[in-house]
Amino acid sequence: MIIAAALCPWPPLLVRELTGADAVLPELRAAAAEAVAAMLAPGPDVVAVVGPGPRTARWPGEGRLDVAAFGGWPGRSGDTSRPVLPPAAGIGAYLLDQAGYRGPRLVWSVSEEEPAPECARLGAGLATQGGPSQRTGLLVLGDGSARRGPRAPGYVDERAAAFDTAWQRAVRAGDLRALLGVDPALARELMATGRPGWQVLAGACPGPLRTVQVRYAGDPFGVMYLVASLVPAAP
Amino acid sequence: MPNENLPGPLTLGRHSFAVQQRLVMAIVNRTPDSFFDQGATWDESAAMDRVHAVVAEGADIVDIGGVAAAPGAAVGVAEEIHRTVPFVAAVRAAYPDLVISVDTWRHEVGREACLAGADLLNDTWGGQDPRLIAVAAQFGAGLVCAHAGPLAPQTRPFRVAYPDVMADVLDRTQGLAARAVAAGVPAGAILIDAAHDFGKNTWQSLEVTRRLGEMTATGWPVLVSLSNKDFIGETLDRPPGGRLTGTLAATAICAWLGARVFRVHQVQPAREVLAMVSAIRGEQPPARTVRGLA
Repeated sequence: MIIAAALCPWPPLLVRELTGADAVLPELRAAAAEAVAAMLAPGPDVVAVVGPGPRTARWPGEGRLDVAAFGGWPGRSGDTSRPVLPPAAGIGAYLLDQAGYRGPRLVWSVSEEEPAPECARLGAGLATQGGPSQRTGLLVLGDGSARRGPRAPGYVDERAAAFDTAWQRAVRAGDLRALLGVDPALARELMATGRPGWQVLAGACPGPLRTVQVRYAGDPFGVMYLVASLVPAAP
Repeated sequence: MPNENLPGPLTLGRHSFAVQQRLVMAIVNRTPDSFFDQGATWDESAAMDRVHAVVAEGADIVDIGGVAAAPGAAVGVAEEIHRTVPFVAAVRAAYPDLVISVDTWRHEVGREACLAGADLLNDTWGGQDPRLIAVAAQFGAGLVCAHAGPLAPQTRPFRVAYPDVMADVLDRTQGLAARAVAAGVPAGAILIDAAHDFGKNTWQSLEVTRRLGEMTATGWPVLVSLSNKDFIGETLDRPPGGRLTGTLAATAICAWLGARVFRVHQVQPAREVLAMVSAIRGEQPPARTVRGLA
């Protein structure tokens, strides 16, 4: 069962060393760290990490973010003995590393082509793996549209605002079932990387939520970021 | 010579500068006739205004000089002291932490400047007055060991030829540095300088620029004084007021080849060039990176 979940965007700028001398959005970095800490606080037996990726696949639990793939400082590529994860899952692993989490991890990437029912099925499987007594924390990586303005990575798409309003409303209201209705094709067109993860989240947490806490919401660079902590109601 | 040619920190005044730091030394002339500013800071209040300005622009060192490099009216010891030493004291009072350099070849001037608070003696004429080293040692001041070829102060090169100009530069500057260490000058406060244009024609200054890596390979911190000089003017066919682009190009090359101190007229553009080179070399982070990372 899922005892706590965290929803985080995965801009590489969450990695402090990638933003140069300026901290750039320290409040986003802090919110992500708080959401991960809150997910870890009840002491899960295992943490599942789910992020968009090139294909739907399970990855080694000891996998890491390849910071050097984004640049950064020569000679600071970290522990290169760990296998490299796709970037979104890698950011998840990085956030867990930063939080000092050393327990077991289940790492999944989910293709942006994966249909909603398949995503939900994967989520349900993560919630029930290890048997009914296994307490699982869930870290979902994903952003809203990256086409929210003329300076945005994907420039402007007039549909982005309504799209982002809708999925954020569902998260804030704890209405995760509504996330299953997000159209994968529209999400792709809007460069919204979060869609598969939201639907995994919905499948993993089918019941009512006890609390939803939004820790950051904003689009300072034209990409919609939402950081939230979600706690399912006890079964 | 530094330990096994490995560069170490440069210690000037109250500061220790790491190997990868690139320092800007701002020129502050107390002369009526220097080639670039033409006496703009001859007036003491104008000179102090310039110090305020260059500090605000990020200068690490100010280099105060009382005698123009080019031939002209002779400036005696007393006059040079009068031009520079009270001003050194005034700058020291205004900026207790700023590294103050004095551009002089005379030990009498160096001594008075150190008493007034100077941290570094910039001996651009390369050991013309052998007693200057003893002054630096006595006060624990730093010393720039420069290569001026066979020239006496305030003279221009006349048909100067070297079998190998860089070999001569290395021989002279390292020889001066070794003498300074032997005399008791702190080894961590000694720099070497090829002294572009001094005792060199344009070809020779271009060659020492191209081969600057041979100087940095010695391990001694390398100072370059390129700003608006004739070798740039002749290369680009530009008058002194039109040499900033060439100065910055040469600055970038020297920084890439490992120079650590850059003596300049225009601080802010030099600061930007050095920040750019340091970032390209991976020695200093960019100011703020978001592109492609959001």
